[in-house]
Amino acid sequence: MTSAAETSTIKPKESVLIRPSKGLFDLELGDIWRYRGLLSTLVLRDIQVIYKQAALGAGWAVIQPLFAVAIFTIVFGSFAKMPSDGIPYPVFAFAAVLPWTYFSEATRRASLGLVEDANLVRKIYFPRLIMPMAKVAAPLLDFAISFVVLLVMMMFYNIMPTFKLLAVIPFIAIAALLALSIGLWLGPINVRYRDVKLTVPFMLQLGMYASPIVYPLSQVPAEWKTLYSFNPMVGVIEGFRWAAFDRAGPDLAAVGISVGVTALLLVTGLIFFKKMEHSFADVI
Amino acid sequence: MTNDLAISVRGLGKKYRRNTKARSDSLRDLLKDSVGAMLRGKKDESQTFWALSDASFDIRKGENVGIIGLNGAGKSTLLKMLSRITTPTTGEARINGRLGALLEVGTGFHQELTGRENTYLYGAILGMSRAEVASKFDAIVEFAEIDEFIDTPVKRYSSGMYVRLAFAVAAHLDPDILLLDEVLAVGDFAFQRKCINFARSLEKKGSTILFVSHNMFSIKTMCERVIYLRAGKVVFDGPTDEGLRIYENDSRLKTAAWFQDEQTAGAITITDVRMMDERGKETGIFDHGQRMRVRVAYKTTREIVQPDFRIGIDRADDVHATTFSSFADQIDIPSVNGEGVIEVLTPPIMLTAELYTLNITIRENGFGRMLTAQVGGHFHMRHPVFSIAFGMFHDAGVWSVEGQTPQALSQQTKAS
Repeated sequence: MTSAAETSTIKPKESVLIRPSKGLFDLELGDIWRYRGLLSTLVLRDIQVIYKQAALGAGWAVIQPLFAVAIFTIVFGSFAKMPSDGIPYPVFAFAAVLPWTYFSEATRRASLGLVEDANLVRKIYFPRLIMPMAKVAAPLLDFAISFVVLLVMMMFYNIMPTFKLLAVIPFIAIAALLALSIGLWLGPINVRYRDVKLTVPFMLQLGMYASPIVYPLSQVPAEWKTLYSFNPMVGVIEGFRWAAFDRAGPDLAAVGISVGVTALLLVTGLIFFKKMEHSFADVI
Repeated sequence: MTNDLAISVRGLGKKYRRNTKARSDSLRDLLKDSVGAMLRGKKDESQTFWALSDASFDIRKGENVGIIGLNGAGKSTLLKMLSRITTPTTGEARINGRLGALLEVGTGFHQELTGRENTYLYGAILGMSRAEVASKFDAIVEFAEIDEFIDTPVKRYSSGMYVRLAFAVAAHLDPDILLLDEVLAVGDFAFQRKCINFARSLEKKGSTILFVSHNMFSIKTMCERVIYLRAGKVVFDGPTDEGLRIYENDSRLKTAAWFQDEQTAGAITITDVRMMDERGKETGIFDHGQRMRVRVAYKTTREIVQPDFRIGIDRADDVHATTFSSFADQIDIPSVNGEGVIEVLTPPIMLTAELYTLNITIRENGFGRMLTAQVGGHFHMRHPVFSIAFGMFHDAGVWSVEGQTPQALSQQTKAS
């Protein structure tokens, strides 16, 4: 032990009391704050790992959504002549693919992360909530990179961004919380039933077509609209298009439902997660 | 609770379900069960057992305590609860000070990341801040002896390098209380010595160490006090020597877990097993190359024709090392009946240094039906160099170098 330099260390509570879990609900926010270093390290790890040994590296963050948009443009834009609210189809689709790609990646990772890091869960103590939080945060970098691509694309099609564009921040925050909420529900279930791993990709595929990504919201038949907008991603995607393009304000009802559904899933998800987390290490 | 206590445990218990498989067969059942459990607040009791029950003890600051017991006695469950990985079912424990738990070296290492990246990752997992790892980084790399590979992904590391780096990070955690689970039993001899020295240095600094091991050597060298668990209960808490004696008694003459004796019940029982050195002195420690004398006393309830007495040696990780068989060695025993004693003097035991278990089995009609199988106690093989890094056993080879005959070589060696 050569260097014992005086450094800032994570100061744990001087004294910890260990006892059976009691009561319905204790978020242990203090503990999460103490372990914020682990949170950021796990986020960093997930970012570092994903493009390791990939020749194109972070280029994939751009290639994947661009490729999806290229296909959509050919199939839906050119062949099917899908209307796009008067906006060039590629940029119309990209503005929606962007939050959707983030949302689906964050949801997938948040739901499956506990099991992928089963080793940590089995052998190390940390506030378990950190795991889905880290999983939701990591793909934000990809999002940021492809957001730059959206800006370039908008310039290319002569669409000038306005200050409204800042509104994507609260909208992506809703998408992140939504992904977290779904992860809070599916993560603990996945610990016990690996069916979740097989179900999630399929549900996300379904969700993509149940969201206004390849088509505009205006194409949804009026009688289905209310039911349709219970999909919380509708409000997020519409919000993105509103922030990016010069058009009438976002459908406030859709945004309100997004926020409401997300809040409901988040609160119930937290209760469920906290209830289940005590058995993670024993079952996983 | 007074201030000089590091750990205080009162009535701590953990109940598990016997059936480790999912109890509900479908998602629907799971939802029904968990909602039901939430409402009722309790669960079905029939399929449960206590991995640990009603454990109470205090550990003072600066004390080194060994936790010993046979497999399944509840040692790991105890450590898991103290490190907060799993929550107790009953009781409580209070931890005073910064706790570091090393339940497995290298948990959380990511294969794709480099040694440097993993150092930060593992540091964070163990509870260090980034700044803290940064300030100790050079010391960690030096301790691990891997400078030139620090920027290589750990998937290209040898298992030795991997373990060294992981341990080096953990060694720099500087905890007030350290929970160790078998981690010293890794790496080659030189590194093990380094780890022991490290544990000593922690001791000097006044750290409290709680140490789970099957290696009675390390327990003896490190701990003045042991807590002995049997079937989930604390049955002894006191001086190491006394605790180890109980442990040795318990681990001797236990029916092997895998043996099913419904049909042969009681035909022959092993009443005593003694391990001795060549001169007949009882011991549990053998030097590499020493011969071992094993004496087995038995009692039969009927005549056993052509018995085959077997003395098997298993390594602590359950790898079967070797078997001495009276029948295979063509010792003709027509039959045995009543009480008797059989003894074998083994050839020099060339097994590498580790903990081993004797398994005594007796068959009838030569290689016929197995009548009994018992665990006959544990022993250590001792050698300063030939650890399991050298494999299962070691014996000197006959070498020739650059065409020189073995004789010429050995004469040279003698001359020099």
